[in-house]
Amino acid sequence: MKRIALLIVILVSVLMPTFSAPTTLTVLWFNDANESEVFQNTMADYVAKNPSVKLDVQVVAFSAYEQKLKLMIAGGNPPDVARVTNNQISALIDALLPLDGKIQGLDEMKKNYLPASLAFALDGKGKLVAFPTEATANGMLVNKTAFKNAGIDVDTISKTWTWADWETLIAKVIAANLKMKYGLAVDFTPHRFSTLMFQQGGHFLNATQTGMDFENPGTIASLRFFKSLHDKGLIPKSVWMGSENPAELFQAGLVACHIGGSWNINTYKQNVKDFEWGAVRMPKGAINSSVPGGKFIATFKGGKNEAEALRLITAFADKEHTSAYVRDTFNLSSRTDTVVNYPSNSKDFAIFLEELKVTPSFTADEWKNVELNKVSTFIREQIVQVLMGNLTPEQAAKAVQEKGSTYFK
Amino acid sequence: MRKKTKNSFNQATAPILFLLPNMIIFSVFIIIPAFQGLRMAAYEWGILSTPHYIGWSNFLEMLKDTVFWKTFANTLIYSLFSVPLLVIVALLFAYFLQDNSMKGVRVYRSLFYIPSLLSMITVGIAWRFLLGDDMGIVNYLIRFMGSQGVHWLTESGTAMLSIILITVWAGAGYFMVIMIAGFQAIPQDLYEAARIDGASPRETFWKITIPMLRGTILVTLVLATISSFKAYELIIVTTGGGPGYATKFIVQQVYQAAFMEDRMGYASMMSIVLMILISVITLFQFAITGKKQDYE
Repeated sequence: MKRIALLIVILVSVLMPTFSAPTTLTVLWFNDANESEVFQNTMADYVAKNPSVKLDVQVVAFSAYEQKLKLMIAGGNPPDVARVTNNQISALIDALLPLDGKIQGLDEMKKNYLPASLAFALDGKGKLVAFPTEATANGMLVNKTAFKNAGIDVDTISKTWTWADWETLIAKVIAANLKMKYGLAVDFTPHRFSTLMFQQGGHFLNATQTGMDFENPGTIASLRFFKSLHDKGLIPKSVWMGSENPAELFQAGLVACHIGGSWNINTYKQNVKDFEWGAVRMPKGAINSSVPGGKFIATFKGGKNEAEALRLITAFADKEHTSAYVRDTFNLSSRTDTVVNYPSNSKDFAIFLEELKVTPSFTADEWKNVELNKVSTFIREQIVQVLMGNLTPEQAAKAVQEKGSTYFK
Repeated sequence: MRKKTKNSFNQATAPILFLLPNMIIFSVFIIIPAFQGLRMAAYEWGILSTPHYIGWSNFLEMLKDTVFWKTFANTLIYSLFSVPLLVIVALLFAYFLQDNSMKGVRVYRSLFYIPSLLSMITVGIAWRFLLGDDMGIVNYLIRFMGSQGVHWLTESGTAMLSIILITVWAGAGYFMVIMIAGFQAIPQDLYEAARIDGASPRETFWKITIPMLRGTILVTLVLATISSFKAYELIIVTTGGGPGYATKFIVQQVYQAAFMEDRMGYASMMSIVLMILISVITLFQFAITGKKQDYE
């Protein structure tokens, strides 16, 4: 009997590794369009080659994403891997696992990224805390059919137009299209507003990003300009003073132009069938500018499967997987060594990249600032106060300056 | 000296044992977090950083915070109008639908009750599609008939009014069910006696029905008030608290401070004020509505 028991113990101990459960990596994701599905398709080959790894992809609505992630981290149970935006990197910087010293050849890999994408992914000590997966930029998408109906060749004229030119032209476009009600929709975020602000020569922070500097002539001019566009009826009030979705207004043919992120190319490609649309260069203010941004993949300090998580994100960040991912999600590549063959809309992506090339580098430095991100909701509220006529641009700028300064103690 | 028997031991301990699971859950999820919140209010603390004790600083800052007081006023206005309206509408529904023998009563009750089964997110999205300035169905119909659209959600006054009406639409059915139970618990003898004495329907309603429903009305008032002070999802989805601060309530401000500005301590301070406010109003409701019933 003892011999049988001993045999069973030996057999169990020998066979245990064979039957051990695979490592399940929890992957937290949010979707702009279909990114979670594309991520899983892109990594299917990796999963096939690594049968000991399984992916548990949890998709969370973007509106609840950061809160969920923070609560998971604060509760000591971070996901193994998560998709994060450039804003979230700054909010979560202390919880992200620095990759330097953990991944072989990382210094060489860093050289392959766009400078703005890399800047967002570095912590205060210059260590990489996430791999850039796609670059984003703010840009202008227009209803080309509406411009054609007004006899305007928007592709040509947009190469050199100013905001003053745009106002003149857009009046003609609205007049020529019965259904069209507005000239421009701007997403209800300070990030998208900052496109206009940077173009008018404004900024949020001082030159060293160590304090607020919102009370500057360019920023005040941009607030005044934004209000004037609302007052003239060129921008729908229902976006910044209500909660209507600017992308839906554009898709319904109610607005001629939309200032939004580059991910809208994917959305419009899928949804807009009634008219011709495309990206054009944004009108020039004091300068030309977009706002860089991006999405990243990261892992966390205290993760339960650190080694496997690092292997997964490194594999996802390689040239082949990045190319496939940005091609299938219709995004800009954050790597400089990729040639992405988009099945369509290549011209639109090229225009967004042109916008990025002329964008001043301080715009990325401002938007990666942790303290600025904390005050961004208050900035949005003060912009609305200006639009409603409750505050002058100067008063709003002063309020933001005072509130923001409390975060830069 | 009274001898302790097994029976008396059971009588003394059995209720405690039955209450214990509920008390443990209540303590772990309500009492302890409430005290923890009180403690956190004295700290400067980001969710991922180390807390620093700052004493009364959060409280003093809150006193000077104009946005907080605006949201405080908005919360009171919303509660002041939505709660009585909810109770009155629920009372009316229940009054007309209390009779089980009425033809089609179950269909009507179901119709009025269905909105309360929906999540507030769904309700908010549905009404946003209805009341949107440019994409809304209601404005589409108004414009189709040749009039100008109404800024339901983009002007301060109409936005608050819209939120109140949506709240009543979504919640009246739930309180109607409680009211119907209250109506059906009133002894029919009282109505028969009143009829014999020649009381009019109006007199019967005010002198029998309402006094007999006092307990039920108190319950609905308390539940509706607490619910109104915690309104969050509906507001976020429908107006986002706007335009400006027009429909922003304390709960939204607490969320913003905690998760957007990363100020958990300050958010806790505002939560404590909200808790005190709800407690005071609930006690006040008990005081004025919960007097000894005088129908006897």
